[in-house]
Amino acid sequence: MHGQANFSNTAMPSQDLPHLEQLDFEKLSPRYAQSNRYIDLFSTAIIMSILFIIQLQSFMPIPTEASDVLMFIIWATALIGLFSTVYTVIADKRKFYALREQDLNYKSGVIFCKTVSQPMLRIQHVELKRGPIDRKIGLAKLQVFSAGGSMHTFEIPGLPLETAESIRQFILDHKDVNHHG
Amino acid sequence: MDNSPETLNNDLADILQPSETLQSTQDWQRISPIAIMYFLAKFVVGFLSNIVVFLPALYLSYDNVIAHPHLWLPVGLGIITLIGLSTFLSFYFFQYRLYQDHIEIRSGVISKTYVNLPFAKIQNVKLEQPIYYRPFGFTCLQLDTAGSAKQEAKVVALKVEFAEQLKKEILAQHKIATSAALDDKTDATHASTSDEQNNEVILNTRSISDLIIHGLTNNRIWIFLGGLAPFFDDFGRYIVEFFNGLGIDLEKFLTFADKPMWQIGLYAVTLTFIILLPFTLFSVVGSIITFYNYTLSKVGDRYIRRSGLLTKYEVIMRLSRLQMVVRQQDWLDVILKRINLKFEQSNSTSNQYQTGAENSRIIVPSINPSECLALIDDVYPENKMMSVNYQRISKRFLLRNLGYILTPIFVLLATSVVIGDKANLLLAIIPSYLLFSLLIYMRWLRWGYTKDDNFVYIRKGYFGVDYYCFPIYKTQQVQFKQSWFQKRHQLSSVRIVLAAGPQDIPFIKQALAYRLLDTTIYQVESSRKSWM
Repeated sequence: MHGQANFSNTAMPSQDLPHLEQLDFEKLSPRYAQSNRYIDLFSTAIIMSILFIIQLQSFMPIPTEASDVLMFIIWATALIGLFSTVYTVIADKRKFYALREQDLNYKSGVIFCKTVSQPMLRIQHVELKRGPIDRKIGLAKLQVFSAGGSMHTFEIPGLPLETAESIRQFILDHKDVNHHG
Repeated sequence: MDNSPETLNNDLADILQPSETLQSTQDWQRISPIAIMYFLAKFVVGFLSNIVVFLPALYLSYDNVIAHPHLWLPVGLGIITLIGLSTFLSFYFFQYRLYQDHIEIRSGVISKTYVNLPFAKIQNVKLEQPIYYRPFGFTCLQLDTAGSAKQEAKVVALKVEFAEQLKKEILAQHKIATSAALDDKTDATHASTSDEQNNEVILNTRSISDLIIHGLTNNRIWIFLGGLAPFFDDFGRYIVEFFNGLGIDLEKFLTFADKPMWQIGLYAVTLTFIILLPFTLFSVVGSIITFYNYTLSKVGDRYIRRSGLLTKYEVIMRLSRLQMVVRQQDWLDVILKRINLKFEQSNSTSNQYQTGAENSRIIVPSINPSECLALIDDVYPENKMMSVNYQRISKRFLLRNLGYILTPIFVLLATSVVIGDKANLLLAIIPSYLLFSLLIYMRWLRWGYTKDDNFVYIRKGYFGVDYYCFPIYKTQQVQFKQSWFQKRHQLSSVRIVLAAGPQDIPFIKQALAYRLLDTTIYQVESSRKSWM
C-alpha cells in the first residue's frame, strides 16, 4: 500500500496493451469497512431509540392506532438496519482500487459489478474529502473530477490518509509532466 | 446589425464611444443603459416561466382585487416601482473591465458576484441579440469556460462592433495559448490566423420550408402536455361549457352506445387531430423562431451558427471543441428522410436543462442525407459513420427486458385483474404490453456499435435511428459493468464518458468490452491529445 510499490507499472508497447482485466487490485483500509459497520449499527440504534422514546414517553401520549403504526415502523427500521449492515459488510469487501502509471481504477458492486477507469490525462482537479469520522480514524476519500461532469466524479473512499495524499501528489506530478512535455 | 446606433447616442456618448477600443476599457465601467431593457426582459421571462406557481394565488385574489381597488392599486404600483428599481439597480451594479487579457465582471444587487476570466480559458463565445437590442445595435456577449468550473460570464449590452472586436481578440488570445501548449499543428494555426477574416464559407442554410418540416417532425408537445396536466379537468369543463354555449350537447354527442363503430373511430381520429393541430403549430412556430435565417458557416477551424427570428444567436465552436457528432432521426424523420445533425460540445458549462440550451448548441435542423454526409465529412473527414458495419448487442438484452422484467409484470397485472373481476382492464393491459414489447424489440434491433482506428460509432433508437460518432481520444473516463447474470454468459456493459455526456453499450461480449476499453484508454493515454 505504501509508497512506490503502487506506481510500478509496465511501460506501454503498442503491441500488447495493458489489460483492464488483469489489474492488480488493492484493498481499501480495513478501518473503512469497520467504520461503515459501526455507522450503520449506531444510526439504526439511534433512530430506533428515538422512536422508542416517542412511543413510551408520557408527556404527550399518542393514540393507540398511531402507536401500532409506530411499533411497525420501529421493527421495519430494525429490519432495514440489519439488511443494510449485512449489505455494507458484503459490499465493502468488494471495493478495490488499482493505480497504474496512466490511470486510476476503482471496482465495486455486489450484484452489479462496476470498474471505473480514469485516465490521469483527463483529470481536471483532485480533492481529498474527510468527514468527521474519516478524520477521527485517519482515512480520506479521494475525488477526481474530469470534464465528464459531476455525475461521473471518480471516487475512491476509505484510503489511509498518507496513501490518499501520495496518490494526489502522484496525479498532480503527472499533470505537471504532461503540461511541460 | 447594420442599423445605425446614432439614434440614442447623445446621452450615452460618454459611456460608449464609437471609437471604444480594448485599451479604453481597462477601467471598471458600466454598460449602456439599454441594458435596463435586458434586465427587465429577464425579469418578465423569469416571472412568466414561474407563472404556474403564481396562478392559483392570482386566481384566488382576483375577486379580492376587483372588490378593493383602493387597497390593491397602491400595492400594484408599489410592485411595479420595485421591479423598476431592481432592474435599474441591476444595471447600476453591473460593471466590467478588460485588464491584462482578463475580463472581469461585477454584478448583483444584494448578492454580489465577481467573475474573473482569463481570455485563454474561454471556450466558447456567443453573441445573443434580443429583438429589443436590434434597433440600437447592441448585443450580449456570452463567454463560456471549459471544464468543470461552473463559471460563465455575460456582458449584457455591448455595441455590436465592439463585441465583434472583443470576440476576435478573445479568440486570437486563445489561439496563441493553445498553439503554445500544443506542439503539433502550430504552423497550421498560425497560417490560418492571418487570412481567416475574409474566407468565411457558408456550409448550410435552412429555408422556411425546412424549418416547418423540423417543427412537424420534432414535435415537443409532450413537454407542454406534461406541464398542463394539472389543468386538464378545467380545460375539459371549459370545452364542454363552450360547446353547450353553442347549443351542442357534447356529452350526448359523444355517447357511444348507439353509434356504429366506424363513427366512433372517426370521432377519435378527428379529436386527436384537433388536439394535435395547435400543438404542432406551436412546434412549427417554435422551430421558426429558433432557426429563422439559419446559416452554418466556417472560418478556419471555427464553425459558426447564426439564427433566430426574435433574438439572434451566434454560436461559435472551434473544431477542437467538438466532442461528438450526433445524427438524429425520429420516426417521422425516417419517413421524410430528414436528419437533425448535432455537434455536441462539452456539457458541463451549458446545462442541458437550461431553457436556452437549444439556442447555444450547434445543431443543423432537418437536412437531407447527402447534406448531412457532407457536413460530417467536413468535420471528421476520416469517419465512416454511414459505411461501417454495426454490431448488434446480444439477444440477451431482449431476454432480460422482455423475459425477466416486462412479462412477469404483465402476468402479475393480468392475473390480479382477472382475479379482481375487472377483466375489461385487460383491454388496456394487453395492448400496452404489446407496445412495450415492440419498443424493446426495436431498441434491440437498433442498438449497435463498432469502432475503427480513430472513432467509436454507436447506433441507437426505437422507431427512429440515431448515430453517434466520437474520436476515441476525446474519452474522459470508461466504465466496465457486469451483473451476476451477465457474468454467467460472459456478457458485460460498457460506458464511455465524454465531455458531452456518457455513451452506453449494453450486453456485449466480455472479451470485446475489455478490448474496446483497453484500446480506448490506450489511445487516450498514448496520444496525449487534448480533448478540447
